Amino acid sequence: MNAPVAPARMNQIGAGQAGSGNALELRGITKMFGALAAISDVTLSVRPGERRAVLGSNGAGKTTLFNCITGDFLPTAGLIRFFGEDVTVFPPHERIRRGLRRTYQISSLFAGLSVIDNVYLACVGVSRNRFSLIRPRPDDALMHAANMLVDAVHLTAEKNRLVGELAYGQQRQLEIALALSGAPRFVLFDEPAAGLSPTERTDLIHILTALPNHIGYIIIEHDMDVALRVVESVTMMHNGRIFKEGRPEDIEDDPEVQELYLGGGHG
Amino acid sequence: MSVADNLQRLTGPYEQRSWLQRIPAAWWAVAVILLFMPVVANDFWLFQVMGWTFILGMIGLSLMFLAGYGGMVSLLQMTVAGVAGYMVAILGPSGANVSLGLAWWVVIPAAFLIAAIFATISGALAVRTDGIYTIMITLAIAAAFFYFTRQNYSIFNGYSGFNLVLPPKLFGVNWRDPMAFYYLSLACATLCYGAVVYISRSPFGLALQGVRDNPRRMAALGFNVTAHRVAAYALASIFASTGGILLVWQNAQIAPGTIGISAAIDVLVVAVVGGLRRPLGPFIGALIYVLLQVFSADILGLFGFSADRFKLIIGIGFLAIVLFSPDGVLALWDRWRARVDARKAAETRGAP
Amino acid sequence: MDKFIARYPIWSLIIVVVVAVFLWLVFAPWPPELVASWGRKQIFLNGLLGGITLGALYFLVAAGFTLIFGLMRVVNLAHGSLFLIGGYVGYEVAIASDSWLLAFPVVFVVVALIGVLMQHFIFSKMEGEELRQTLVSIGLSIVFADLMLWWWGGQSYTILAPQFLQGPVQLPIVNTVNEATGVTTWLRYPAVRVWILAAAIVIGVAMWLVLNRTALGMLIRAGVDDREMLAASGVRIKLLFLAVFAFGAGLAGVAGIVGATFQSLSPGEDTRFLLSSLVVVIVGGMGSIAGAALGALIIGVAEQMGFVYAPTYSIVFTFLIMAAVLAFRPQGLLGARR
Repeated sequence: MNAPVAPARMNQIGAGQAGSGNALELRGITKMFGALAAISDVTLSVRPGERRAVLGSNGAGKTTLFNCITGDFLPTAGLIRFFGEDVTVFPPHERIRRGLRRTYQISSLFAGLSVIDNVYLACVGVSRNRFSLIRPRPDDALMHAANMLVDAVHLTAEKNRLVGELAYGQQRQLEIALALSGAPRFVLFDEPAAGLSPTERTDLIHILTALPNHIGYIIIEHDMDVALRVVESVTMMHNGRIFKEGRPEDIEDDPEVQELYLGGGHG
Repeated sequence: MSVADNLQRLTGPYEQRSWLQRIPAAWWAVAVILLFMPVVANDFWLFQVMGWTFILGMIGLSLMFLAGYGGMVSLLQMTVAGVAGYMVAILGPSGANVSLGLAWWVVIPAAFLIAAIFATISGALAVRTDGIYTIMITLAIAAAFFYFTRQNYSIFNGYSGFNLVLPPKLFGVNWRDPMAFYYLSLACATLCYGAVVYISRSPFGLALQGVRDNPRRMAALGFNVTAHRVAAYALASIFASTGGILLVWQNAQIAPGTIGISAAIDVLVVAVVGGLRRPLGPFIGALIYVLLQVFSADILGLFGFSADRFKLIIGIGFLAIVLFSPDGVLALWDRWRARVDARKAAETRGAP
Repeated sequence: MDKFIARYPIWSLIIVVVVAVFLWLVFAPWPPELVASWGRKQIFLNGLLGGITLGALYFLVAAGFTLIFGLMRVVNLAHGSLFLIGGYVGYEVAIASDSWLLAFPVVFVVVALIGVLMQHFIFSKMEGEELRQTLVSIGLSIVFADLMLWWWGGQSYTILAPQFLQGPVQLPIVNTVNEATGVTTWLRYPAVRVWILAAAIVIGVAMWLVLNRTALGMLIRAGVDDREMLAASGVRIKLLFLAVFAFGAGLAGVAGIVGATFQSLSPGEDTRFLLSSLVVVIVGGMGSIAGAALGALIIGVAEQMGFVYAPTYSIVFTFLIMAAVLAFRPQGLLGARR
């Protein structure tokens, strides 16, 4: 089951339409924790379908940036637009319903539920059936979608196992399935390769590159081999600020970047 | 692998047998005992013991639904039941002259509706904070309503409450007749139990359990966590209201004492003693509670105490459960079963 | 202060006006029109002072509750039982020794000891299991309530205030001015209540000083803010927890004597004072001593004023205050956002 998924199958996931303008636009985002600025004045725009990596050492503010984008934290200052709409003060679920998705650095799945139930829950979350009291029937459309997603992340054989019993790498794959539920238009991947074996990393690269073209994403990743192979642009962060932006090959060769990041023992 | 194959896989372990076939034999036995109990049991057992068990079980079930699936330990459920019961007494006919005396087909839906509105508003206040605060806030709301009914004479008829609140003579049956009341409360309890079991696997029920385990993640999946919690309060009010209305009919009266603080605590005791994790728990807890209450004089007499010490027994029993088996007597049962199974397995392994 | 005025000019104005009107209502003689619509000034003043002294009593009970919660995250729903035990034991001591004052240290020690036993043998064994601790405390309150009913029965008890506290004192507040003679009568108020108010203020200020000005207070506050750090810092946390639990319990016991002196004790008072503590800390903010003081004052005054001016709806005022706080500031008026 570890063969790359046919693009045709992947294209059925999510029929969200790419709007005009930018998919994601951040202007002057600042987040203070007390007197400490976790991120300051971050301005960034990502086109629909664009894939970008955010790199930086620990404490550079990458995950805080994600938390601001998804609404887990409200930014102290700044503006966030998602496909043209100002979502700065929206609660997280409103942003998710508009097609934003994220995965978590530390797996946060529902360990007591089976794989299929986890994915089903993710599909329900962005559907109109959230409050339905009717159990899913065998021909349920959401259950069908959940099955497709489980296939797409190569977990078909584990479908009915409890998530708590899965291997670590499989849990990471499931994280991705949850993030692709419904009609995603833009996904935030928070270190999806962390802790994966080399084979699993190859698998992850397959999954990411096989995503339909209209789904853009930002990926935080320490593994440059993974990060630079699945993106077309890179943003470097340092001490909560944007430090450099460019194409992967430029960033890789940039002496300053090498000094700060690649030379810092993270590569 | 085709999509059809996938579906087969998914539904395989669930749906190969019809739902009737999947009910274990023990349940059939319980069903038969409950259905034919009136053949052997006298009126006292049917009306006082079993009727009260079902009522208390339903109110406890609404707490179990909120606590077990939603992670919200609410001390409000007796109050919600009381609101429904009070509405039946206020809107319908009773011995007090503040009652409006409306027809039952207005009164009962109105009682459910008003109790649901009350539960929704209170729930909305309670879910503003998390965790252990819930228990405090719901206790405070329950107390406020209790004191209010005691002070207010124009609507709630104050201290004396309402008497002579009788069920309507529907289909020519006197529903307070012990056998009729037994079957009525049994049917209601079965429906409520079935509803909770069914809903636990519905999108709403699954999501509620997700909210219990990881609210932040649920928000990141598109769920409005607050709305889900409030909706759970509204839904749980249906079970509590059913119990509350039956309670008024059984006692033929309702007064502030019915919904006092100790009654609210009793519901918690019943649900915790039975087990908060499974819908069956509250009914088991209710049966134990009612049996202790009814036979407290005999039990206490054995130890040389007077029957007044009933609350002491309840308190100590509750403490023992919370200290030694936090998941209730159902967990004790599970542990015992597991030990028996382990012993059997050891014997069969040892035999050849 | 200046910052506040600059930031919220309208709110500042409203606050100033409200305070001015309030002070006028308290200190100025009332014109006849006001008396005609609101009743005599004496009624208002009695309601207000009654509310403040009730608030003082609520504060004594709630302070221990909120301190225990703040540091140990234990929601001790047996706190009302400690209050009632304190009252009963105080009654026994006062009767046996014929000394009201002696009851205070004895009760403090006895109830503090009960608190220590509860913390040492039960709550510390299930640290972090908030729900279980709360359930245990409910079980304890049921058992305590029945044991007390068994021992002291259902009748009500009142502790007589000692001779030197009986009778009224004259307060520097105008009650009425006689139009014809120009003679001013001053407000007279039971001495024991004035003294209890003073004592509550002294205890409150002392607690605040200990918490904010001593090394022990710093430890406790650090524990409230960040328990992991406290545990990691090598402080003998078990001892600290025991001490705080003992103090909170002892305070509740002492409050029981106070309650028995100016009201009375009977079964059910434990629940009543538990509930008032709950409402006080929900309004004031969990874990905050200043919040408990503010909440106690608000709830005490609201309860008494409601009782004086709208007896059938007095409980509604208390509840509406709580609901409003929960709706607009769920962490409580002076509570820290978590």
